[in-house]
Amino acid sequence: MLFRRIFKEKLLYLIIFANLIIGYATFIVISQFISGQFMWDNHNTNYDRIYRLQLFMDQKENKIKHTWSVTAALSRKDLIDLPEIEKIALIHDVGDNNKNGVFLSVDKKNQILSRFGYYADQSVFDIFTFKFIEGDIKQALTEPYSIVLSKELADKLFPGGNAIGKQVYGENKVVFNVTGVFEDLPLRTTWRPVYLLPMLSYAAITGQKDYENNYWGYSFHTYVLLKPNANPAAIDNKIHDALKDFRKEHYPYLRPMSKLNVNPFFDPSMYIAIGLLSFLSVLILVLSSINFINLQTASATNRYREIGILKTLGFNKRRLWFQFMFESMSITIAASLTGILVAQMALPSLNSMIGWGTFPGILENPKLIFIILAVTLITGFLSGIHPAYIISSYSPVAALKQKLIPEKSNGINLKKILVTIQFSISVFMLIVAFIIFRQTNFMLTKDMGFNNQTVLFSNIVTNKNGSFEPLKQQLLEHREIKDACVSDYIPFILPGGDDLNWEGGKPDEKVFVRYSNISYDFVPTYELKMISGRNFSKEFPADRNNCLINETAAKVFGWKDPIGKRIKASGKNYDVIGVIKDYTVFSVSNPNEPHLYKLLQDSIVSNAVYSINFVPGKEKEAMNIVKEEFQKFFPDDAFEFSDIKFLTQNESAVKAYQSFQKITSLIAILTIIISSIGIFGLILFMTQRKMKEIGVRKVLGFSYSSLYITLSSWFIQLIFISLLLAWPAAFYVYKVLPGANKYGIQIWEFLIASLIILAVAFATISYQIVKALKVRPVEILKDE
Amino acid sequence: MVETTALNNVNLEVGKGEFVAVMGPSGCGKSTLLNILGLLDSSDSGEYYFDGIEISGFNEKQRTNLRKGNIGFIFQGFNLIDDLNIYENVELPLLALGEPKSQRRQKVDEILEKMRIGHRRSHFPKQLSGGQQQRVAIARALITRPKVILADEPTGNLDSANGEQVMQLLEELNTTGTTIIMVTHSIGHAERAHRILNLFDGQLLLERSDKVFEPVL
Repeated sequence: MLFRRIFKEKLLYLIIFANLIIGYATFIVISQFISGQFMWDNHNTNYDRIYRLQLFMDQKENKIKHTWSVTAALSRKDLIDLPEIEKIALIHDVGDNNKNGVFLSVDKKNQILSRFGYYADQSVFDIFTFKFIEGDIKQALTEPYSIVLSKELADKLFPGGNAIGKQVYGENKVVFNVTGVFEDLPLRTTWRPVYLLPMLSYAAITGQKDYENNYWGYSFHTYVLLKPNANPAAIDNKIHDALKDFRKEHYPYLRPMSKLNVNPFFDPSMYIAIGLLSFLSVLILVLSSINFINLQTASATNRYREIGILKTLGFNKRRLWFQFMFESMSITIAASLTGILVAQMALPSLNSMIGWGTFPGILENPKLIFIILAVTLITGFLSGIHPAYIISSYSPVAALKQKLIPEKSNGINLKKILVTIQFSISVFMLIVAFIIFRQTNFMLTKDMGFNNQTVLFSNIVTNKNGSFEPLKQQLLEHREIKDACVSDYIPFILPGGDDLNWEGGKPDEKVFVRYSNISYDFVPTYELKMISGRNFSKEFPADRNNCLINETAAKVFGWKDPIGKRIKASGKNYDVIGVIKDYTVFSVSNPNEPHLYKLLQDSIVSNAVYSINFVPGKEKEAMNIVKEEFQKFFPDDAFEFSDIKFLTQNESAVKAYQSFQKITSLIAILTIIISSIGIFGLILFMTQRKMKEIGVRKVLGFSYSSLYITLSSWFIQLIFISLLLAWPAAFYVYKVLPGANKYGIQIWEFLIASLIILAVAFATISYQIVKALKVRPVEILKDE
Repeated sequence: MVETTALNNVNLEVGKGEFVAVMGPSGCGKSTLLNILGLLDSSDSGEYYFDGIEISGFNEKQRTNLRKGNIGFIFQGFNLIDDLNIYENVELPLLALGEPKSQRRQKVDEILEKMRIGHRRSHFPKQLSGGQQQRVAIARALITRPKVILADEPTGNLDSANGEQVMQLLEELNTTGTTIIMVTHSIGHAERAHRILNLFDGQLLLERSDKVFEPVL
């Protein structure tokens, strides 16, 4: 019978189903997105027992900071004897994964730039879950100069397969033997190596002979596997003061793997963002449920006669109530199942649109299916109650005569409340979507303080030495190249650093300062701004003993006039000659840190980054020029130039922002669609109900415009009440939005969001009223 | 709102097996009387004995329970449910009674054959002629073998040939012992009843009877 009715009232049920399916699909997609955030790393069998060693740095004036870059000595000296710990893995980047990666090749010719290589102890295979395709997992990293490849990299290096026992060259300088190939780790993995080298070769390859005793170098990572039932708090207590002889205010602790994605550093931002997203997804569900209630109640008027007949024939109220509830539930369950299907079909394109490996399939998280089913039953039940009550309460006599139940025209009734809620939610969600979109956009397009648009850069490891000057002159011959420099880091990337004393500070007071070595042209190439003093210059040979600092460093040291002040770094004194305006380092959401720049002069060093500033729009030409010139200059070394624009946009925080931005845009669009459906349905049935009134008024000679006003006035009142509710609520969301840098909210965002909903309402009202007005009054009146 | 009184001071007794016709101009209260007799509505004052039980104080649930199986309705507009086919429409009262499926099937088949509409069992009401639709409605009213049939202008929407068929059916029913109360505008049809009640402005004006029955109502 339900099917026949659906078939008969196609438009009505099309609206009902579209509304519910979009509502459920959105809820499901967002639930999957959120559940994905909590499913990072859970492919590890030992998930619950894996912890990462982190440091808490109590820094002066510099916000409280946490890091997972730690010293090797902590794991080799302090963790090693703790009874609670089963396994420890010490890890170090190969090269610098943030910069560029390392060139690997099989034949010294076809170089493959490979990022995310790590030196690691054999114990990583005991701690994390790796699936070996080739080789023996038990001794893959036990021999010096072995290399373990991910399938992804193995396929590139050895397209024919059979990598085991073959040789791989690193930067054409070191030879490794392939001892294993493992299946690519899932995208939702915090530590996701693409290849692994044995830690026991680290000293020999890097020359860091005494690294295991080094408490100063913060470039290692450490993961531990606790024994079952071990208490991590007990370990935290034991290692809390491990660094007290070295860096007074740095305290090591363990962070469980379950927190590494959502909240690695005790910062609630991610939770707030996820909370907000969950809230929006629930609201969308509420919105579509209210639509459903309104549509059902409205369509119930079409069933007066049927209900009247059934009652006359002896069907009691409870029975009819159950029948109607059953219909409601069937519709919601069907819509929810279709919603799951739609969501799954949308996932591949959503994954590629939003990226970042964010959406787990529904089958990966069975709990989610239960949640969705529970939510379906609850929404189906709640949205069925009211219409079922209305419909089962019809008096059979009135129903048979097809008299409409008189509606309380003044005063507050449930329908008005629902419509108000519906409008409020729509407007609220649109404003919030605007806010989130603008906020993320603000973070993404914010002036980073350096040229992040027209710079090409490449890391080059070489045996060559001498001056960079001839190459630079050669490059500047081309009109497309504006400037070039050499440095050990580029502005976007965080270099290492050290705790420093400064002139005027207490002798025992130290602050962690990052430092880079830069050539004379680093400042102009990256278009950094000097706020006082001068850049390094060849006219001042003494600049070898001078340095530049950034704005934050001057602030942290408490220097009003930094020029001429003295800093001791790496056992040497440097005089400050200039202050560089702060620029954004690594992530747009990061606070600024003190920074020191030393002069590299123009000499080629074994491992450095070469940067070229090109004329805007000449990207391709510039790329060809640098390829050619660098090939001539470094004939024996591999390099690959990257566009800085690409780098900054692929940084994970930026990607996270982008995915949030995209998902909120999606929510905004769906909100508009669902609201339109709701408003359309509502008005459709409201005007149907008022058909007779329209007919009578037309007969009496009312003008179209006065009919229009009569029919839409109650609606408009409710819209304005909704605005009063939605605006403050949306403003509150802006207030609690996380982030160090907030954009300035503007009134037009509220206005535009409200106008969109108003426009939708007016468009549908107009359509329906015009349609109703076109019907000849005689036909309407005859219908009674 | 102005209160209007539909029926006033009506005192009526209908006997078992009696065929009563109710006549009167529009708005005289015929339908209200039928609604009260059919337990669809309750009277504001007065008493109502159905099969010897006083039921004017019954609530909706009790009235519904008494109604199903005991009272059959036939309407001028047939009141068939458009979304159900003929078989399903006739089956409805049995569903309300909660009868098992096999019994329902047997009873519906039987009555459809009897009404000569068995061949249209899977058609929908809109596909049938007016006379056929009314036969379906009568089949639906009879399926529970009710004690009383209430017919509200059963021939009002039919041409004379079809109307005659319906009247014959009602008479047949009456001869098998079913009590019938029929509202009609047609004097010819009314005269086929045992007794004619004339209602005017809610008052019972005239009764003409040619037979005496043991009261059921």
